[in-house]
Amino acid sequence: MPLEGPARIVQQLTAHGYNAEREAVTLLASRPDPTQALDRVLENTPDETLVIGAKDVERVLDAETESTREIAPPSESKAGTSDSAPATDTSRKTEIDTAGQDPTASPGERTTDSPGEAAVDAVETGGFERAGDRSQRDIAIRGDMTGESTGTGEYRDFIAVFRDRLDKLSSKLSGRVNHRPASSIESMPGGSDVAMIGLVNDIRSTASGHWLVELEDTTGTFPFLVMKDREYVDLVDELLRDEVIAMEGTLADDSGIAFVDSMYSPDVPRTHEPKTADRHVEAALISDVHVGSDEFMADAWNDFADWLHTEEAQHVEYLCIAGDMVEGVGVYPNQDEELDIIDIYEQYEAFNEYLKRVPGDLDIVMIPGNHDAVRLAEPQPGFNEELRSIMSAHDPQIVSNPSTVEIEGVSILMYHGVSLDEVIAELPSEKASYDEPHKAMYQLLKKRHVAPQFGGHTRLAPEEKDHLVMESVPDIFHTGHVHKLGFGKYHDVLAINSGCWQAQTDFQKSVNIDPDSGFAPIVDLSTLDVTVRKFS
Amino acid sequence: MREVDERYFETLEAELDDAFDVAERARSRGGDPEPEVEIPVARDMADRVENILGIEGVAERVRELEGEMSREEAALELAVDFAEGRVGDYETKAGKVEGAVRTAVALLTEGVVAAPIEGIDRVEFLENSDGSEFVNVYYAGPIRSAGGTAQALSVLVADYTRALVGLETYQARDEEIERYAEEISLYDSETGLQYTPKDKETKFIAKHLPIMLDGEATGDEEVSGFRDLERVDTNSARGGMCLVLAEGIALKAPKIQRYTSQLDEVDWPWLQDLIDGTYYDDADGEADEADGEDGASNGNDGDGDEGGDGDEDDSSDDEAATESEDDASVEAVDYDGPERVEESTKFLRDLIAGRPVFSHPCAEGGFRLRYGRARNHGFATAGVHPAAMHLLDDFLATGTQIKTERPGKAAGVVPVDSIEGPTVRLANGDVRQIDDPEVALELRNGVEKILDLGEYLVNYGEFVENNHPLAPASYVPEWWVQDLAAAGVDVQALQDDPSIDLDHPTIERALEWAETYDAPLHPAYTFLWHDLSVEAFCDLAATVAAGRIEDTDAGPVLELDHTDATRDALETVVIEHRQREDHIEIDDPRPFVRSLGCRITKTGRIERDWVDEDLSEHARTWGTAEPGDNAVEAVTEVAPFEIRERAPTRVGNRMGRPEKSESRDMSPAVHTLFPIGEAGGAQRDVAKAGSHADTMADTPGVVEIQVGRTRCPECDTESYDHRCPECDTRTEPDYRCPSCDERIRPDEAGRVECDRCEKTATCVEPRPIDLNAAYRDALESVGERENAYDILKGVKGLTSTDKLPEPIEKGILRAKHDVSSFKDGTVRYDMTDLPVTSVRASELDVTVGQLEALGYEEDIHGEPLAHEDQLVELKVQDIVLSDGAAAHMLQTADFIDDLLEQYYGLEPYYELEGRDELVGELVFGMAPHTSAATVGRVIGFTSAAVGYAHPYFHAAKRRNCDGDEDCVMLLLDGLLNFSKSFLPDKRGGRMDAPLVMSSRIDPSEIDDEAHNMDIVSQYPREFYEASLEMVDPGEVDIQIGEDTLGTDGEYTGFQHTHDTTDIAMGPDLSAYKTLGSMMDKMDAQLEISRKLRAVDETDVAERVIEYHFLPDLIGNLRAFSRQETRCLDCGEKFRRMPLTEVCRECGGNVNLTVHEGSVNKYMDTAIQVAEEFGCRDYTKQRLEVLETSLESIFENDKNKQSGIADFM
Repeated sequence: MPLEGPARIVQQLTAHGYNAEREAVTLLASRPDPTQALDRVLENTPDETLVIGAKDVERVLDAETESTREIAPPSESKAGTSDSAPATDTSRKTEIDTAGQDPTASPGERTTDSPGEAAVDAVETGGFERAGDRSQRDIAIRGDMTGESTGTGEYRDFIAVFRDRLDKLSSKLSGRVNHRPASSIESMPGGSDVAMIGLVNDIRSTASGHWLVELEDTTGTFPFLVMKDREYVDLVDELLRDEVIAMEGTLADDSGIAFVDSMYSPDVPRTHEPKTADRHVEAALISDVHVGSDEFMADAWNDFADWLHTEEAQHVEYLCIAGDMVEGVGVYPNQDEELDIIDIYEQYEAFNEYLKRVPGDLDIVMIPGNHDAVRLAEPQPGFNEELRSIMSAHDPQIVSNPSTVEIEGVSILMYHGVSLDEVIAELPSEKASYDEPHKAMYQLLKKRHVAPQFGGHTRLAPEEKDHLVMESVPDIFHTGHVHKLGFGKYHDVLAINSGCWQAQTDFQKSVNIDPDSGFAPIVDLSTLDVTVRKFS
Repeated sequence: MREVDERYFETLEAELDDAFDVAERARSRGGDPEPEVEIPVARDMADRVENILGIEGVAERVRELEGEMSREEAALELAVDFAEGRVGDYETKAGKVEGAVRTAVALLTEGVVAAPIEGIDRVEFLENSDGSEFVNVYYAGPIRSAGGTAQALSVLVADYTRALVGLETYQARDEEIERYAEEISLYDSETGLQYTPKDKETKFIAKHLPIMLDGEATGDEEVSGFRDLERVDTNSARGGMCLVLAEGIALKAPKIQRYTSQLDEVDWPWLQDLIDGTYYDDADGEADEADGEDGASNGNDGDGDEGGDGDEDDSSDDEAATESEDDASVEAVDYDGPERVEESTKFLRDLIAGRPVFSHPCAEGGFRLRYGRARNHGFATAGVHPAAMHLLDDFLATGTQIKTERPGKAAGVVPVDSIEGPTVRLANGDVRQIDDPEVALELRNGVEKILDLGEYLVNYGEFVENNHPLAPASYVPEWWVQDLAAAGVDVQALQDDPSIDLDHPTIERALEWAETYDAPLHPAYTFLWHDLSVEAFCDLAATVAAGRIEDTDAGPVLELDHTDATRDALETVVIEHRQREDHIEIDDPRPFVRSLGCRITKTGRIERDWVDEDLSEHARTWGTAEPGDNAVEAVTEVAPFEIRERAPTRVGNRMGRPEKSESRDMSPAVHTLFPIGEAGGAQRDVAKAGSHADTMADTPGVVEIQVGRTRCPECDTESYDHRCPECDTRTEPDYRCPSCDERIRPDEAGRVECDRCEKTATCVEPRPIDLNAAYRDALESVGERENAYDILKGVKGLTSTDKLPEPIEKGILRAKHDVSSFKDGTVRYDMTDLPVTSVRASELDVTVGQLEALGYEEDIHGEPLAHEDQLVELKVQDIVLSDGAAAHMLQTADFIDDLLEQYYGLEPYYELEGRDELVGELVFGMAPHTSAATVGRVIGFTSAAVGYAHPYFHAAKRRNCDGDEDCVMLLLDGLLNFSKSFLPDKRGGRMDAPLVMSSRIDPSEIDDEAHNMDIVSQYPREFYEASLEMVDPGEVDIQIGEDTLGTDGEYTGFQHTHDTTDIAMGPDLSAYKTLGSMMDKMDAQLEISRKLRAVDETDVAERVIEYHFLPDLIGNLRAFSRQETRCLDCGEKFRRMPLTEVCRECGGNVNLTVHEGSVNKYMDTAIQVAEEFGCRDYTKQRLEVLETSLESIFENDKNKQSGIADFM
């Protein structure tokens, strides 16, 4: 089949697992016989190369002039065993806050099943070039702690991390209250007005139904009583231990306790104005792919990848994956019985094959999740060199969980979301539930910390700094983990919990979780509007 | 009852009465919380039930009903009495239901276990959506000890009483039904259930239950789905409820149905659907599955006990049976073969480091099943040859628990030397069977491979108890002799002939019998032909035919060329031989040569009388797993005699818990239940507390402590003593209402409630106590000096309701005699339980005279007792103490004597000079989770680290002998020092405390598991033959304990089929206890796995990593990243690291509770083991991922640990 135009060249390179510099593509397209030139390049580029640059092309093609060699046919991709998707209905468009409805797009007939060819076919019917100008792309990472893990598991590391948390977050609160350290509050006369900023050390209800909240700072602790009939009592329900808050109140006569008049969370300022991209460009925010699981939905994934090759997806230039690329090994007992791929490295290799199916000209950012082969304690550094070399398709940016990625001015806080389980378990269901995971995310935004509570479900790795604090307000907060789709805005911050690419597992069935599988939320970075695509 | 039995019990009770008098006199002096003995004597079950429940009138009613109906029916009858107010004094309907339910559980557990009081929290009424009231029963964790049947029946009784008092049934809401299903799976994954109903089954039950099952939260993990329900208080799993629903209702449905069908008031038609499994919406699709369950449940029904252990096995066995039938029918076209049991790998689960596997499931070279009961055997035990114990590097000792493939799940190991020992290959090439423990010890270091572990004795009763189909029997002399008799031989004459040993006859005799009579070859010369394939058999015959006979002084020796095939074949059939460089020698080869269809001619040549083609199709294809893998039929065709399978059933097993014989100490050990707060330091040293002062300004020794306030009724002096410090009058607890401070007197039921404030009054208050004065006064009062002991340890605080302290004097005397106190004031010694029914004076380290003094007059054959090696039948309440227990009891006796003299001012009671004087003294036996003690009498001592006693004695405590342990207390210690008021005021606090004692054992009122023990001296030939067909054990007639219940013979006539030289042979302690570190143990474990032919060492390594190292690593890593911290100085705990860095309480240094060292202690070993034993990649990768995690957490990325090379 004749190859024309740079888009096809990119597709073909992608199918073989390479990314290409723009110049390289141009160079190839300008050859009298691009197909042959491309094949030569493919054949002569070392496998470990990730990005084919102009230099590579020149080297190969220059060499070609010296000696003519046989032209090898393009090799079949390893992942090309999946069933072909139905000819129509591969994607359904769902507007914000409406359930998936009528099919609005059909990428056309497809008869082949290897990812490479499928991609080509999709283009054949769609026939487009990714709209944006790559030179306008801009991606920057902040807060990646990969390779920066300095903790050695000592007591003082834990102290450092909690003190850093208090430090960072009290700066968000200190303007609002006239606070004093716990030790000096103790010595103030009864009846004084006091305020304190601290970590919530303990929350207890008293025999008479009031709430006792103990705040802690570096000087000690002080108890604050929230009366059951005060307006703030509802806020107590939302409190998690170890989050930072400020409380204002009046000291009791014996100065042993303060009666709370008001309380504050670091929160997202109401004045927060999200930044947007200067052009129409979109990002797909997904997570929880779980390749290797018996329940991984290869068809849905392939449909998604194919759709990304269509014109409809022409503005999608970025792909963010918030953890759980693979199902992992030893995540729960007897997991091997539910694994389609038992070998962890093969799982990542398979993931890489699936990743190859998405267009090569996407910019990809990934963080690890709790199923991935990195430490479980948070913050989780990005994958090690070995795994990075496996997940090389399209040269993704692999960063720690959590990390902030700034795309064309829009900052996206990516966090896998293990703490959501805890938020949902601890808070009343109207404030956080699996059915509305974004509401649990609002709580984290409000607390300006992705996993406040220590000692429970979430595991903490002690580091010099608390990498889990949201020092600056993101424009988009992206999590996964709970396998439920949900999004909404909190003080103009877009919170998105992406669904998953794994069908309901036996375990989920037994605990009554019905996952949202095969959805891809697409965010328009120029408006922060969300469109959900369904692929199952 | 026979007169002799009556006399025996009267002797025991007379001595009990004496001790009781002494104790009553002592306690009447008022130094104890109560002025009388607090353990009431129960003569029968009815007494126990009433005493445990504390409901008057129950005992009388139980006795009335007992003769007329079963215990279950009596429980239902009592429910009517409760409902109509004839029994119990309850004002509310809920109270009546509660009384009826508790009584039912007590009755069904024979008034021994704590479940009726600790396992049922309360019964309350709640409202249905339509406003009608229904019953809600609150279960708690300890309901577990009641067993499935009692749990299930408690629900039925609750419903029955509900109907009688006129309440509506419970209408479960949808979310509640779903919640049950989620919660049960959660509980199963957290804690584990013996039977886990499928979600559909749970929902079906929940939907139809006429009462609501509820309970206390027992775990920290919460359900994630159906939370915050209106009528369910907690989001955590409710353990008691889960047990009742799953192991009670779901598992015991057929049993409950038996009773529902008799009652008009209750209607549980859904039970039939549950039993039939027709509760599925799509019943057709799931029919097969449901059928399987049906079978399992019915099996339990017939089984008629609450041993959950057996139940679980039932289902798998049913499946196994079905499968094997299927196999047979499918493959019948191809070949025939003998019946075999199915492999079961269940016992290998949760294998941990340091506890070796002895045999993989059904593996060749593993323990060979032999039927019989030795005198120290039965009741969940396994007989192993003492030589095997030594050859297994001493990992097995008397009393060591093994997890076993069948018939039960676990068993206690007992030494039996009348069975065959193991066969080993030595480093010098000799292959020898070792039947002598001494030889085993001598040769142990030279053992290269254990080819066969020898025989493994299991009694018939085990199969009955576990409702396990009989497994094909080994061919053994006791069977052969019956075959011989059946062939017309006068066996009696042979037995009387002193020149003939029927167990080990000479070759000439054996061959002569085999060739003359229509009886198979004697087992001593029958080799394990069934493990050899027909092909290998033919090859071996050819090799032997090419062999040479050398005549030596010791007789003919067969010499064969040494080839791998020949050696493998000889090792497979397990025949003694010598492997030399170029040839193999077999002594006395005639039976072997004959079995191969060869003859030794007069000239010493070997002639083979057949060629391969002579074998019939039948013999050629005879097989067990595949055609032609079993040469038994071939042997029978070519040999001039019949051959039976020597070892058709192998039993896989691994080590469970080690045996135990040690004093029960709290941690840290406690001498006196006197509170000293933190003043005594971590050691709780009373003397140190006496001089402790927080600051310079404080008076040393004065510490504020939570204690109960008492008041003198005479002079109104307030104190915390049992006797008024002013006038020595007995004081009373001074209860005050916490709201209005009004003084409250307890009402008749002992409740202290303020009527005005509706609050429970308490006498507990923080009170400054001068510990120094109290301590010095106590020393003076008993006339002891501080140097009489190293240290006197108290407790930090009291956990009882009224917090009344024990007198320090008692602690001083305990410390003096180096005994420590349990939470209830008693001194206890724990031992692994083992059964014994006949004993010798010689092995008990007692004299014939001592036995005679205890009423033993004749031996088991009715001969007068004259020699110390005569066997006598053990009386039911006589027990054998381990050496350690005897020493400890002596110390306790000295303590009691001092206590009587120096504290109570009475005459000493025991005055024991040596341990032989302990013989005849009474003790209490008591098991964990129960609340009733059983009186026992010391008869002798054993060097094994176990407590041997009559199986009925163990059953009276509701223990079997599968590795369980329980304690003994010296009688007078219990009577003098036990008080209910020391018991912790928390769930389960009354468990493990002697709330009542049984003075005599009624065999009908013990755990009926013991009734399944066989009590004969020989199993009939029909039994062995039936075993080959794998019939149900019920189809064979062998007398078991149950058959003699209620007769004069119920206490006697416990015969055995196998003797053993001494009940304490083999190692005294398992290597598990003598080896030092976990690494040493694991190295030894892996070493054994390499040595045993029956063990796959890779699998062992894999399992150790999977079930021990990985969970440990993962668990510790998890614990690390969410750990508590603790102050190194004052011990204060912090949920999270305090931001102050130092302790907020005392300013001391705070540190982590989980360190790097405890997290990664197994990492390197695990990786090394995985490499060395070739574990699968999945396991290796899990380790790799964990190692990376550890590095990531504990290593600084910017400052990686560097090797020495960096500095060179």
